Amino acid sequence: MNILTQFAAETATADAGLFGALGIDWRLLILQIIAFLILVFLLGKFVYPWLMKQVDERAAAIEKAAEAATAAEKAAADTKEQVAELLDKAREEAAEIVETAQLESAELLSITEKKAKATAERIAADAKAQLDKDVAQAKAVLFDETLQLVALTTEKLVGAELTAKIDENHIRKTLKEQA
Amino acid sequence: MNYFAASELHISIAAEPLFYVNGFPITNAFVTGIVGTIITIVILGFVASKVKRGKYNRFVGLVQWVFEGLLKSIHDIIPDKKMARKITPLAVTIFFFVLFNYWLSILPGVDSIRIGEVPVIRSLTADLNFTLGLAIVTIVTVQVYAIRHLGVFGNGSRYFRNPLKDPIGAFEGILELIGEFSRGVALSLRLFGNAFAGEVLLIVIAFLTGYFAAVALPFFMAFELFIGFIQAYVFFVLTLIFTALAVAHHGPSDAHSPAVTRKVVTARK
Repeated sequence: MNILTQFAAETATADAGLFGALGIDWRLLILQIIAFLILVFLLGKFVYPWLMKQVDERAAAIEKAAEAATAAEKAAADTKEQVAELLDKAREEAAEIVETAQLESAELLSITEKKAKATAERIAADAKAQLDKDVAQAKAVLFDETLQLVALTTEKLVGAELTAKIDENHIRKTLKEQA
Repeated sequence: MNYFAASELHISIAAEPLFYVNGFPITNAFVTGIVGTIITIVILGFVASKVKRGKYNRFVGLVQWVFEGLLKSIHDIIPDKKMARKITPLAVTIFFFVLFNYWLSILPGVDSIRIGEVPVIRSLTADLNFTLGLAIVTIVTVQVYAIRHLGVFGNGSRYFRNPLKDPIGAFEGILELIGEFSRGVALSLRLFGNAFAGEVLLIVIAFLTGYFAAVALPFFMAFELFIGFIQAYVFFVLTLIFTALAVAHHGPSDAHSPAVTRKVVTARK
């Protein structure tokens, strides 16, 4: 206490008490309180509302942006999910198509193979039939030619022309001899 | 040969009158306080007008940024949004007004510009009239909010309890009452002490360093700028905490919210 009063000794001439020593003047104190309250009122009336409004608007904008971001994020997630679903579906369809194509190609191959086999068999059968026919025809021709050759040879041996009647007679004679 | 900027130290714990108007003392702190008030009004008015017109620059952005930070602190300490909005003008004005006035204490010529033997410039925060007045405004405001929130009897029951029914509570109420006064005194003396000590520090450094004060003082001035910010913020936060404690008081056994308790502990340190 003494230190305080010592420090303030020069100025505290009129007021000898502690408040006077500390320089507390009640008139000044009240005046400064009133001045400060007026300042608070003025700033609260004309300054802070604008600053607070701006802060509120910014906070609202941030909130709105956050909501929009959340919505966009959700939409992106939904889209991603949809894309994934579409991709899965497309993959499934592609797999089905590939499977069907494989089945169809296998079937087509099988049918083609059967057709080719049948055609080949038919061609072979036709060729065999033609061959048999040609062989038979050749045999007949050969038989005729052999007959003619035999007839000619016989004519030369017999020395007479063999007619069908003569030949028939010879045949019958031969058959009788044989019998 | 005198190597010192000032030939002798002039330290007065009280603000000194420069002149009298009808017997009313106009002190150096009062004059500097008027300048500080004008600066506060001009800066905040300028920022508000710019914000109103949607024209922003770095300075407006800086003040807006500080204002937003203060608002965030208010909402952190006082969860009730309505009450937070009501206390905002007082708390924010305390911050800016204390800040600007504290920073005026680093003006060159704090001790050297004189009328007669009295220095013309003295920070308003280094005048106990102002700091005590500010503390009274804060404590009264806190009481007003407490009465509005708890009612006259509810608020009174924080201090006055029946000693026959609840002797410990009655004792605690007396302590609470003493605490209210001590809070006010501590608020005013803390700010006054820091501001006054800051001015004395600058004067002493200027006195000791002589012509080298031009090199030495800027460091201390920067330090005082920082201290000014801290003191303004401390006063601001304590105003909010006292309000929060007053309106959140439910009884002797109830604990305060952890956020408020943490801030109180930090502020008291």
